[in-house]
Amino acid sequence: MNELMDILKELRPDVDFEKETALITDGILDSFDIVALVGELNDAFDIEIKPNNLVPENFNSAKAMMALIEKLQDE
Amino acid sequence: MQTSVLERLDHTAEVYADKVMFKDPDSSITFGEFDKLTKVIGTYLAGKAQPGDPIAVMSGRHIHTPACFLGAVRAGCFYAPMDGDMPQTRLNQILSVIKAPFMLVDQAHLEAAQALDFDGEIIVMEDIMGTEINEELIAQRAATLTCTSPLYVIFTSGSTGKPKGVITSHLSLMTYIDSVAKVLDINDTDIMGNQSPLDYIAAIRDIYFPISKGASTFIIPKNEFAVPTALFGTLNREKITALCWSVAGVELPAKLGAFEESKPEYLKKLCFSGSVMPCKYLKIWQQNLPDVLYVNQYGPTETTASCTYYVVTEQVEDDTVLPIGKPYDNYRIMLLNDDNTPTKDGEIGQICVSGPILALGYYGNKEVTEASFIQNPLNPNYRELIYKTGDLGRWAEDGNLMFHGRMDRQIKHLGHRIELGEIEDTALKIDGVKSCCALYYKEKATLYLFYTGDATSKDIVLYFRANMPAFMVPRKLINLEAMPALPNGKTDMQTLKGYFK
Repeated sequence: MNELMDILKELRPDVDFEKETALITDGILDSFDIVALVGELNDAFDIEIKPNNLVPENFNSAKAMMALIEKLQDE
Repeated sequence: MQTSVLERLDHTAEVYADKVMFKDPDSSITFGEFDKLTKVIGTYLAGKAQPGDPIAVMSGRHIHTPACFLGAVRAGCFYAPMDGDMPQTRLNQILSVIKAPFMLVDQAHLEAAQALDFDGEIIVMEDIMGTEINEELIAQRAATLTCTSPLYVIFTSGSTGKPKGVITSHLSLMTYIDSVAKVLDINDTDIMGNQSPLDYIAAIRDIYFPISKGASTFIIPKNEFAVPTALFGTLNREKITALCWSVAGVELPAKLGAFEESKPEYLKKLCFSGSVMPCKYLKIWQQNLPDVLYVNQYGPTETTASCTYYVVTEQVEDDTVLPIGKPYDNYRIMLLNDDNTPTKDGEIGQICVSGPILALGYYGNKEVTEASFIQNPLNPNYRELIYKTGDLGRWAEDGNLMFHGRMDRQIKHLGHRIELGEIEDTALKIDGVKSCCALYYKEKATLYLFYTGDATSKDIVLYFRANMPAFMVPRKLINLEAMPALPNGKTDMQTLKGYFK
């Protein structure tokens, strides 16, 4: 989780990732943030995020992102 | 010969009265309803504003925003669109240049508008919907327009730290729209999928293809671009046939693997512009949609969005370099050397443009206007202005123009035009930034800021987020003990580029 938080804070230091739960739905992260983020997460966690993973439910909060990462690592 | 875009709207509103003109996820508006709404807004504004006044418009991503634009035109005025998502500082800079007596906003942007440094009157669109149309007044105001009257002023990054307002006339807009519609074969069976913010130059096709050609436009919600499966779902649900997107927008679905799930079934035409297309992404589009017409466009806001086009007929490979092609109808291109002499065959020179598509200049900025729009140095006989783009080009043997980068420090990032000097000016306003240099790592599409001083990267990003549009916020911040310098004292940018990763 710490590694994820570091990546998120470097990406968008202006966002409170501990609290936000509607990062995509509210448009806090835009499409260009997502492209950058997907690349970094794939590298950092040795996973492959597929287009069908790219839904708001998986990226609306840091917690949801962590759940997705763990799920993909198990596969 | 039409005198204004209003004649086009009068025509399409009559022919397509009951057809959907604009649609967003929540609502839609027919040509007839749209036309009425522009007259309602126009009547109200005509009761307040003088013909020729600028009207600032700050309204969201929905079907009523284009009606606000055209409502201003119905009043004999021109519009200056503003993106309400931009920070206050930026919006205040725009207002200080345009000095509009009136700002038209939607209810959702009222609070944001009230917080700005604005001396004029704020008008809320929803509050004036009940205005009774005064056809006589509207006709009087339409008669004040000529085809060279300004239609809109769109703002773009300026190297001196203040945005520049590019003024476009009715004539220029109509000339461009007809030329690009001919290449793309846009007609009343087309449904456009709008990607660009509505205040931005790239949206003019999505707004004026309906007005001019009877096409329809669906306004795609911004956050769908982060969810590629939803994006393609929308393109199919709305049966979208034509896209005029930024290169960055076209790359997104290919980068995020959207084609692995589905593909846009109804798409026939895809036109892209704004920056150089990396062909490894275009290849993915071509492989999945081989029958689509792909068109590469090139050109600055000052020549009404674009000036050349290239129809991609070949199968591209990862390393294909696309030409920017040939001039649109009514555009003339010449290549000049630094001393204003014409380049020899096959040599690189500055791309200069002439024709009825040249902007009227930069609003309220005579000095920069006169430096950028000059008398054609090859024509001593009569007045003929050319615009010096600052871009370098070369005519290939097959007659196509090739793009060879910028002469200065202007870059294209995520489809937007940015002066690196403006990023540096902004960073230097932050306490704790002593010196800095902004550079662009093109291969990774990443904006770097190198700086000295004790500011943290968080301080800098927060300042940028509060004062500049999101696309101008540096992604990578590198704090240095000292700026590397060349013997002449200038910053050694090559050494800084060694930090790119």
